[in-house]
Amino acid sequence: MRALIWSELYKLVHQRMTYLALAAILIIEGVVIFSAYFQGNTILDILLDNLRDSFYFEGNLLNGHLLVYLILNSLWFHLPLILMIVSAGLLTTEYKDKTLQMVMLQPVNRTSFLLSKYVVAIIFSLGVVLVLMVSSMGVSYAVFGGGDLVVYLGSLNFFPHEEAFQRILWAYGCGTLTVIFFSVVSVTIAVLVRETTIAWIASAFFLIVANLLLKVDFGDGWFGKYSFVKLNDTWQQLFYQDINWTQIHTNNALILGYTLLFMVIGVIVFKRRDLL
Amino acid sequence: MILTGQSLTKTYGSLSALTDVDIACAAGTIYGLLGANGAGKTTLFRILLGLIKPNKGKVIINSDRIKPLGGIIEKPAAYEYLSAQQNLRLFSKIQKAPADKTTIENKLKAVGLSPERKDPVRNFSLGMKQRLGIAIALLNDPECLVLDEPFSGLDPIGIASLRSLIQELATKQGLSVLVSSHIVDELSKVCDELIILKEGQIVNRGATQEIISACTESYLISGPEITQTDLWEKVDAKMLRQSVQVFVGAEEIGEIISVLAKKGIQITSCTPEISMSKLFDTDTK
Repeated sequence: MRALIWSELYKLVHQRMTYLALAAILIIEGVVIFSAYFQGNTILDILLDNLRDSFYFEGNLLNGHLLVYLILNSLWFHLPLILMIVSAGLLTTEYKDKTLQMVMLQPVNRTSFLLSKYVVAIIFSLGVVLVLMVSSMGVSYAVFGGGDLVVYLGSLNFFPHEEAFQRILWAYGCGTLTVIFFSVVSVTIAVLVRETTIAWIASAFFLIVANLLLKVDFGDGWFGKYSFVKLNDTWQQLFYQDINWTQIHTNNALILGYTLLFMVIGVIVFKRRDLL
Repeated sequence: MILTGQSLTKTYGSLSALTDVDIACAAGTIYGLLGANGAGKTTLFRILLGLIKPNKGKVIINSDRIKPLGGIIEKPAAYEYLSAQQNLRLFSKIQKAPADKTTIENKLKAVGLSPERKDPVRNFSLGMKQRLGIAIALLNDPECLVLDEPFSGLDPIGIASLRSLIQELATKQGLSVLVSSHIVDELSKVCDELIILKEGQIVNRGATQEIISACTESYLISGPEITQTDLWEKVDAKMLRQSVQVFVGAEEIGEIISVLAKKGIQITSCTPEISMSKLFDTDTK
């Protein structure tokens, strides 16, 4: 298994697509910072116009924390989309180039092979989130400095500098689990559809539908509480004034469960299916 | 027998790809699987190599090696963005075969590839990719090598070179080699035994030379002055530009060649023209 994981990482670092994905993520981050630099104060002025008369805000509200929070929003869609394309490609390119067949002609266990794909998709997702986190914090704090964080989630929530940083770190942690879930799903989609373009379309479709359903109110029933589409924004709960840790832990455990479920489905299908 | 397939049957919906195919491969022998496109050659190879499961029948592998069978299906598939050395190292590591520099270089040399080339495999010719594919297939020293259409797309030099590599593997290393093709000429030059597959069924099998002789209806004799003899008036022959198609059996061709030699007529080649209908329709099992 270790040799298979090594080989998957070796392939990943030698593929151009890996670096294109990283570049795309850094460009998105750059665009967010660039827009905030030029338009951030205007938006904040509109939002806080009345409040400035009654409250004193420490430091500039267009600060590093707000920028990192805005970049965190890419965890909703942009980051999973790019990671899903790369993760699905880990398998579909092998189907397309027939290298999968060549690997399966060696004494390699099918389950171990697919699990190594999942592990590498997870490692890559973790790495990308880490790059996003370090670069967004580095650039944002260097350019805009620290200060209080203001977040609008139904109402305006304010967090002092120290608390804001803690919440951002926790949010990255929760967001990472969601990103890993989508990466794992895309590998399973690749197992099911095998064809590169179809896998990309199916992955994007899955992500779009999941994000659309996230906005729909399904009430307090099972689907509204525990379906995976309702777990994608757990990290946002870190930016409510009172954090519901029980809910956050439950959601994180559920998303991990769904991740494992999709992995199991992928392994079962991959093992049973003929390799054409 | 290193590899045995018994009553192998495979269907895809209502389409029957293979029906009750029996096959057995012994060490040091080269077997040729001949069949038209869609005859079921690749399906049979995929079953033998464990890539797909048969609906009926079983594959028995009589070997205690880590990798009893090595193979290439359809086309050699290496990672195009990696070099030959990197590919070989990667494939070695995943199957716990030695992956040190010297071993990798020796494996490349054994199939006639230069260890000096560091560029990606995408720059390689098809013949070179085929050789790399064989090097990968030979990792961990399998006892049987299964090659699906290995000559397809190769130039004449590539074909000759691959043919000698296959013969060397069978003769010097005692490998059992199973090669498929839809071109009889290619298989007849390299295989000890032929298995003819038609519409998913074996219709003919036996020693290559026996099958070729039994199915030869004429010979094409070529030479610069081959048409300039009265011999052709005495046998059933058809004049072509610098060759003559002689409609005789295997027993008579030797005599004709000897007469031509006595007359001092230079012969550059004598090729059997095999009757496809005989080859694919006669059951000589």
